[in-house]
Amino acid sequence: MRCPEANRLLDGYVDDQLEVAGVLALEEHLRGCARCRAREESLRALRAALQRHTEFRVAPAAMHAALRAEFGVRAAAPVQPARRRVAFGATALAMLALAAWGLQGAFEREGMGAARSAGKVVYHISSSQTASAALRTLRNHLEASPETKVVVVAHNEGVDFLLRGARDESGELFATAVRQFKGRGVDFRVCNNTLVRRKIGSEGILPEATLVPSGIAEISRLQESEGYAYMRM
Amino acid sequence: MPPWLLVDSLTYCWPLNDEYRASVRNIPGSARWNRIDAGAVLGGWDLSDGEKRARFERLVLPHLDAAYSLAVWLVRDDAHAEEAVQESCLRAFRYFDALRGDDARPWLLGIVRNTCYSLLQRSRQDGVPLPFDEEGCGEDTVAAGAVVSFPLNPEAAAIREADREHVRNALRALPLEFREAVVLREIHGFSYREIAAVCAVPIGTVMSRIARGRRLLQQALGERGASEDTGT
Repeated sequence: MRCPEANRLLDGYVDDQLEVAGVLALEEHLRGCARCRAREESLRALRAALQRHTEFRVAPAAMHAALRAEFGVRAAAPVQPARRRVAFGATALAMLALAAWGLQGAFEREGMGAARSAGKVVYHISSSQTASAALRTLRNHLEASPETKVVVVAHNEGVDFLLRGARDESGELFATAVRQFKGRGVDFRVCNNTLVRRKIGSEGILPEATLVPSGIAEISRLQESEGYAYMRM
Repeated sequence: MPPWLLVDSLTYCWPLNDEYRASVRNIPGSARWNRIDAGAVLGGWDLSDGEKRARFERLVLPHLDAAYSLAVWLVRDDAHAEEAVQESCLRAFRYFDALRGDDARPWLLGIVRNTCYSLLQRSRQDGVPLPFDEEGCGEDTVAAGAVVSFPLNPEAAAIREADREHVRNALRALPLEFREAVVLREIHGFSYREIAAVCAVPIGTVMSRIARGRRLLQQALGERGASEDTGT
C-alpha cells in the first residue's frame, strides 16, 4: 500500500469502520511510514479534542414538555405530588385502554409484533467496578431490543464513570460511550446526594448526565410511577 | 475507496435489516421521498390516534436530544434549532406511518437535517442573518485548494493544546456538508452507514466528507497553534 491509499483509509481506520483486510494492509503501511503515522496521530488528537470540547446537547426541558404534550399520550410528569396521583391514575387507565387496542391491532397487522415487547428498564450502577460491564450489557440489550427505553441511575461509587475524564480499563474515555448511548436515547441520571457526600461539584459530571436529588428515590419513582423494570449492575 | 472495505463495525453499527433499510428510504423531505413515497403513505396503516401517539412517544420522542444536538450544530443558533426540532416533530408525526421498523433515530435525524436545510435556505432568502456557508464550498472546490497533505507531529501537538473556543469555532466554521458528517460521527457516535442514511448520500461520500472536514479542522487548529507559538 502506498501513501495516497493509506491516506484515504486513515479516517475509516481511526473510526473503526474498515474491514479487517483494510486494517491489516494499512497497519503494515503505518509500520514503515513515519509521515502517515504522524497523520494518524494528528487525526487521533483531533478526535480527542472534539470529544473534549463539544458535547451532546440536551434539549430544553420546556421543549420536551411541549412536544410530549402535543404528540405524546400524556403530559409530562406533573410537579405537585398531590396531582401526580390523579394524573397517574388517568395515565394508567389510558395505558390499559391502549394496551387493549395495541393487542387487537397487532394481530391484524404485520411488522408490529416487536413493538409491543418494548420495555422500560432502569439500570442501577452503584460501583465503579461494574460500570464497563454494565455498559457492555446495555449495548447488547439495545442491540437485541433497540426500542427499549433505558435510564441509567448512578449512585455511590457508581458515579465514577460519569466524571469528566474517566476512563475504562482499556484506557478509553467513558465519555465516548456515554455520548453514543445518549445519542441512542439512553438517559444518565446522577444522584446528587452522592455528589454532596463525596464533595464532587456538578461541573465535574459529564454534560450528558443530569442530576436527580436522590438516586434511590429516582429508581423507586421510575419503578412505581412509570413502570420501569429494575436491573442491578 | 472500494466499498468492500467497509463493514458494520461491532462497536458502532446497529443491525441492518430490511425494515431498517426501508425506514431510512422513507425520510420526508428527501428527494426520493417526494418522488415515490408521499403518495403511498397516505394510504398507509391508518393507526388510531391513541395508538399512533403511544408509538410516537415510544419510538420518536426519546431521540429529541439527539435531534436538538444535530440542529444546534447545523443552524448554529439555539432558538432556530428549537424551531427546527419542533417543525421536524410535526413532520415526523404527520408522516409517522412512513416509518418502517422500530429504529426511528436515523429517520428522525434525516427529517431534522432536511428541515434545517430548508430553514437555512429560507432565512437566507429573507435576508435574516442566520449564518449560512458561502456558496461554492462544495467538496470539489474545497478539495482543490485547501488541504494540507501530510500533517507532522507539531500539528498534533497544537491540536492537543487547542482550547475549547478554538475547537468549537473551527467546527462551527466548517462548511455545512462536512460539519453534519463530522457532528454525526463525533457527537452522535453514528456509523458511516447511519450517517449515509441520515444525509441520503452513499457511504463513500460520507467517508470523503468526514475526511475533508477533519483535514480542514486540522488545518485550522494546527495553524492557529503554530502561529501562536511563533508570535509569543
